[in-house]
Amino acid sequence: MTRTYFKLAPLALCISAAPALAQSDAERLDQLEQQVSSLQQQLTSAAADRVRLNGFFSTGYATASNDAGFAGINDESEVQDLSLMALQGTFSLSDDTQAIMQLVSRGEEDWDTELEWAYLSHQATNSLQLRAGKMRLPFFMYSDSLELGYAQPWARPPQAVYGPVTVTSYVGADATYTFNLSGSSINTQLFSGFTDESSATSGNEVEFRNTVGINTEWTDYVWKVRAVAATAEVSVDSRLLGQLFGQNSFTLADGERGNFYGLGFGYDNGTWQVVSEVTRIDVDGPFYDTDSAYLTVGRRFDNVMPYATIGWLESKDDDERAGPLSSVLDRSRDEYSLGVRWDVLSGVAVKFDYTHARGFGDEPGSNMNAGSIFAENIDSTNVYTVKIDSAF
Amino acid sequence: MKRFSVLLVALMLGVSVAQAEVVVVGNPAGPDSITLDQVRDIYLNRSKALPNGQRAVPYELAEGNATRETFHEAVTGRSGAQLKAFWSQQVFTGKGQPPQEIGTEAAMKSSVASTPGSIGYIDSAQVDDSVKVILKP
Repeated sequence: MTRTYFKLAPLALCISAAPALAQSDAERLDQLEQQVSSLQQQLTSAAADRVRLNGFFSTGYATASNDAGFAGINDESEVQDLSLMALQGTFSLSDDTQAIMQLVSRGEEDWDTELEWAYLSHQATNSLQLRAGKMRLPFFMYSDSLELGYAQPWARPPQAVYGPVTVTSYVGADATYTFNLSGSSINTQLFSGFTDESSATSGNEVEFRNTVGINTEWTDYVWKVRAVAATAEVSVDSRLLGQLFGQNSFTLADGERGNFYGLGFGYDNGTWQVVSEVTRIDVDGPFYDTDSAYLTVGRRFDNVMPYATIGWLESKDDDERAGPLSSVLDRSRDEYSLGVRWDVLSGVAVKFDYTHARGFGDEPGSNMNAGSIFAENIDSTNVYTVKIDSAF
Repeated sequence: MKRFSVLLVALMLGVSVAQAEVVVVGNPAGPDSITLDQVRDIYLNRSKALPNGQRAVPYELAEGNATRETFHEAVTGRSGAQLKAFWSQQVFTGKGQPPQEIGTEAAMKSSVASTPGSIGYIDSAQVDDSVKVILKP
């Protein structure tokens, strides 16, 4: 009796357990499969997370109605003038620390590759980011994406504001504090460092020493307001002025106090985009002091955005200069642009731009062809641009 | 009668589509709840932390996935193209990288289940106790 019981019990157990076992097997298999797929994903993503590569590319053609040289464009221009290719690498040292570099090759510099960014970034807390290395000088709203045409509405940033500052990078450190409010945030950045650049195109040597600045931005992700102030000891050796005076170079500023102030405003509700910046440059000595501003209004129709820009630039210290210094440093002009940004594919935008600049006949400034302007009595120019910007 | 049954099927389909509900899920060891604003801030690179201070690891479904579209409609209010443009700007200005993309909701669920600090979203029908529902947007 007992023997039959013991024989039957495991059998009964087996019978009753079999379906349950089969079910839990299937479930476990399912779970295991999910775990394997998740582990595989984590393995591949761990490798992908350590190094991320991104790039951007632009090319285009621009021509002008005369040799005024607005934005460096004359009535015969080469396609490669607007071409550039950039590669950006992000290397994660830990969850909070990254090394970032950006290499840019420009067509107008025979595709020589330059290291534009090389810095370490550390997220100290959820709201505090620290960076050190070579970075963009954060003077403008579009400083960080200065060469990334894809992130900009225009074919080129408005020259009235972006033109007078020829130095774009510095070596130093910054700290950015983000304060999140409900539905908006305030971002404050303190930066400090130095710059020593020689321009391949103008042959100018520019040095900023002990640069210190602050910029702060409030945004509710539709509206944006930004203010920036910075100061540096500025040294400029001009080759162009040197030639005029029969020397190798002419020292325009030698450790003079230079200040930069900017106010920015943005609105983007997905349909309308409005951007405006007002800037002031103030440098002791003969170097130009300028006030400038622009306003851009764009309207998106699906993947096409027509835009209009007006810009204005004026040097404020003309009475402090005379002779050749005035002819190279005094500057004044108005700019009007009409253009279209057309997002052809995801990651590719084509832009068409017509810009009319005028009122610079007496005061062209050193980043235009002063020689041609005086010789040919030019007071206005038309610039036509077609550009392709992509990011990948 | 035939027309009526077609209408009925269409109605039922319509109802079943409307019932597809997306929920925000977190790792079981993470916080019990999160607000819509906090989820939006994490998915738009405005915040890198969960409400309990833990570092947030957000996951995203692949582009074109219907659950992804429902989620972004409810949380960030941005279309696929707008998100793409937004992230390319963030990446190239050195501000951050987009959330890691995951192919399927099942894989999203198991990644969230196995990664501390993770946050994801799946169809409510897919929820089981390997993950924790922290918000129903």
